[in-house]
Amino acid sequence: MREEETFEDLASLFAAEDRALDAKPFVAEVMGKVRRRTRLRRAFLIGVGGAGALVAALQVPSLLGDWITVDNTIVTAISTAQQQAGLLASTNPLWLGIAAMVGLSLAAVATMERT
Amino acid sequence: MRTDPDLAADAARGNEAAFAELVRRHQARVRGMARRLTGSASSGDDIAQMTFLTAWQKIGTYAGGTFSAWICAICWREFLQVRRRTRPEIEFDETAEIIPFERPGDLQDERMDLSRALEKLTEAQRVCVVMCVAAGLSHREAAEATGWPLGTVKSHVLRGVETLRKHLANAQVA
Repeated sequence: MREEETFEDLASLFAAEDRALDAKPFVAEVMGKVRRRTRLRRAFLIGVGGAGALVAALQVPSLLGDWITVDNTIVTAISTAQQQAGLLASTNPLWLGIAAMVGLSLAAVATMERT
Repeated sequence: MRTDPDLAADAARGNEAAFAELVRRHQARVRGMARRLTGSASSGDDIAQMTFLTAWQKIGTYAGGTFSAWICAICWREFLQVRRRTRPEIEFDETAEIIPFERPGDLQDERMDLSRALEKLTEAQRVCVVMCVAAGLSHREAAEATGWPLGTVKSHVLRGVETLRKHLANAQVA
């Protein structure tokens, strides 16, 4: 709430002057400029976005080349893991059973301790 | 009727119709303020247009409060920018007791007593009277917009109103 004096008599004189101003042409002119600016901005963004997409598209072949190297690494890692799993299967089942029991016991203790 | 903050929030999302409604609601206040600050209808309307274009760009920064105070603060900054471009040699001095700014004035415009009386004020008084009496800002809002101390604004408003009334009374007698 305003605490100071508002000088109603003078304020009403100013307000009467302001009310006499024709709003329509002014609003139309401002909104016309706003729309023009919006269109320009949109065109600029589309242009910059398109240029960015073009640059990205030009990078795709080299990106795919890099991916093939990554792909080979993954395939090699999977085949190595398969070989090691085969070695594990050839060991004595008794030791595997003992290792499983120890692992389960440790997991049970760890779970109980957390609660 | 939708409130100004609601319309501003819609405008910030790119709703041009909401912004047009804000322009419709506040154009008289902003044009009146700019015309009185410049002393010219055409320069005033140019500044008012720039004010609304800047407001459209920065509508996302409107953080509630009185929309009229926010838009009038933009109008004041636009006025200062134009003033610096046209009269770069004169720095604004709110303590000045003379009228340092040559006001162009639209000679073709029919001057009302009120406009003529406004011209009798010092520039700082005119700014404070225009903001606080004509545009309806509180003293605090005017102080925040101009960056002047609150006490200075109050003092300029009181002295300006006193001078304005004196000149209006003289004009009526004459």
